[in-house]
Order: sequence, then structure tokens, then C-alpha cells
Amino acid sequence: MIRLRLSLAIALLAAAAATSASTARAQDTHYFVAYSHHLEEPGNLEVEFYSNYGTQKAGNDFIAPWVELEYGATAWWTTEFYLDSQSTFHDSTVFTGFRWENRFRPLMREHWINPVLYVEYENTTDADKTLKEVVGFDNQFDFAERNSVLNKSYGHEIETKLILSSDYKGWNISENFIGEKNLGHEPWEFGYAVGVSRPLRMAATPSPCKFCRENIVVGAELYGGLGTAKSLTLSGTSHYLAPLVAWELPNGVSFSLSSGIGLNDNSHRLLLRWGVSYEIPGFGRKVRSLFR
Amino acid sequence: MTNLRLLIPAFLLLVSLAAAAVGAARDKDATDSRGVLLAIAQAPVKTRDWKNPYEGDADALLAGKKLYGQHCAECHGANARGLRNAVSLRSPQVQNATPGELVWFLRNGNLFHGMPSWSGLPDQRRWQIVTYLKSLR
Repeated sequence: MIRLRLSLAIALLAAAAATSASTARAQDTHYFVAYSHHLEEPGNLEVEFYSNYGTQKAGNDFIAPWVELEYGATAWWTTEFYLDSQSTFHDSTVFTGFRWENRFRPLMREHWINPVLYVEYENTTDADKTLKEVVGFDNQFDFAERNSVLNKSYGHEIETKLILSSDYKGWNISENFIGEKNLGHEPWEFGYAVGVSRPLRMAATPSPCKFCRENIVVGAELYGGLGTAKSLTLSGTSHYLAPLVAWELPNGVSFSLSSGIGLNDNSHRLLLRWGVSYEIPGFGRKVRSLFR
Repeated sequence: MTNLRLLIPAFLLLVSLAAAAVGAARDKDATDSRGVLLAIAQAPVKTRDWKNPYEGDADALLAGKKLYGQHCAECHGANARGLRNAVSLRSPQVQNATPGELVWFLRNGNLFHGMPSWSGLPDQRRWQIVTYLKSLR
């Protein structure tokens, strides 16, 4: 039922966006896991619906949809709110929690490598299968339990990232170093994500177009765990390579697709992610005007 | 433990608000001796010699106009005369800048004063936007 409602909401959003007169477009790298230094434009709200379909070697396959509300608070600070859910085949559909993330650009100019500081508070259950990051010794067997068991265990976590990102000749190259701490008495867990992407055509064409190369972005992500503070390692955890493609429409709608392939026995064989997002320009100003 | 769970989001909120207040406090309308906005004139001197590869290119101008509509018009207005806090791009403070300075400024932005960095656009598209902006003189 939740899947049906979500699909309906996505269809409505896409229809509304397709008929919208507004023409704001973000400069997005369309990574699902990695982050670049490109923040949301100030005052804009990006509404995003994503889903992650994963195959399980042990246990049932799943779909984990999530919603993101990404707001450009300033040109150097983006704040984002997430609602996560998942549906496991032959099991159940559950709401798995929320996350609140903030990204800050400490340097006010562009450099060869641009750092961004990331802090996120997560209040999610062990049933969360969005796999927005892989840390510690995360592996596919963590998801083998039934939802009724996994969803009882709530985790309060702080996730930090050092995002390093560069733009060179139309390419974006981003490296993320992830540190996650459960606020219980768990050790720090670490992970990494690397992304590269670029549009298929660099220069824009003179006339408006939808199906043209300048609107297509291609790239790939590599991500995985790095163990814990007690045992920093690449083994015993999972790793993925995920080619991606995105289509940006001139009216601010974009569609993204990524096919993640598990690189070792601890990984899900396939993580198929897709999403649609819509940029609402001047959202902050419109909200403020309601209170004047 | 409960206190810690409440304190962390509260701390994040406070840090964010404090940082926003610092950002709002800087002067953004100052100009240099040429009458160019200081934020633009801070571009390295070498950028003044950068040649626009699309100068005189009618297609680039149209492409720049299209890109302007997608990325810039929300703040600077469809006619580029400026809206709210965003400056008019037809004003001498902007038009007196060289194409190289403008393309540098588009790449870097003025983050403290709300102008985002457009480094995510390929160089070619930033030059196309500058081609369009210069046609507004």
C-alpha cells in the first residue's frame, strides 16, 4: 500500500512539475551515495523521492523508498531532512526513521579541492535499508532478519563526513570519508564513497531541448565500509561499484538511475536505485511572504 | 542519554544560526576604482586578460540566454535588472567588469552574500552565460 501511495505521489509530482512554468535547474552531480561540494542554491527547496531495490543472498529482496527535502539555507549551508521506509518481499512494509543532515562549505572560494563538512543526526531502526552509506562492517547478512525483529532496535547516530570535491573540464570528482557513531556505547565506524560524473555535452545548445546530450549526466560511484576505530580494514565489510545516469529536464525535474554491483561476498549482489527530484525556486521567500 | 539526544540537534541548530548571522554582516555593494563590484574585482588580475571563446558567437548568446533563464533569472530577474537583494546585471558595477572577471565570479560566487558558486556548470556554459550578460550592456 505504501509503495502504491509513493508511486502515486511521484506520478503527481512529475505531472505537476511537467506543467510548471518555473525554470530553475540545480547543478547536480546526481550521486546517490557520494556528495560533491555543490550545495543547494540559497532559498531553493529540492523535493526528492528515491528508492533502493536490493537483492539478498540470504533473506528476501527489498525496496527501500525515501523522501528528501533539501533546502539551501545560504549559499554555503544546505540542510536536508529525510524520511525512510522499506518494504521487504514476503515480509512487511515499515517506516524506519528520519535523518537531519547539514552541509557547510568552510572555504568561500573555489579551489582545486573543495572541502565540505557534513553532520547528520539519524534516528532510524536496524530495518533501514536505504543504504545511503556503508560503514563499519555493514554487510548483506545484517538484513536477513525479519522486519518485526529489526524494526524494534532504534539507533541514535551521528554521522560525519569530510567531503572533498573537484571540478575539472566538466568532470566532478568527489571523495567522501565517513565516520559514524552510535550514541550508545558503540565504536566509531568508518566508510568511504567516491564519485565521478559529467554531462554528455559541455556547451549548451541555443534552443530549448529535453532529449539532448547536455541534459544527460553519466558517472559512477564506488563505496564501502572501512571497519571501526578498533579495526580499520577493507575486509569483512561490503563494497559496491555503481554506474549512474541522470536526465535533467529544463523545468527543474530530474530523473536518476544507478545500478550498484556488489564487489564481494558481503555485498548485496545488486542495488538498483532510482529517483525523481524537483527544484522549487525561491521556496524560502515564498514561505516568508506568507507570514508578512 | 536522553539529554544528549536533544542537545546534539540543538547544538547543530545554534551553530547554523550563528554562522548565518556572521554571513549576513558583510558589505556587498562596495566597488573598486573602475566602479566594478568588489566581489567581482577580487578576481585575480590575470582573469582580466582571459578571452571569451564565444565572443561574437550568436549561438552562444542564445545558449547563454537559455542558461540565464534556468540558473540566474530567479534572483536577478528575467530582464536581468535585479530583484530584491540581487544586483542588476545591466548596471555599470557589473558591465564594467571584463568577461574573464565575470566568468571567474560565476565559478566562485559570493557565498557570504547569497551568490552561489556555479562551478558545477562546465566552463563552456559559464562562458555562454557571460556572452549573454555582455550583450545586455
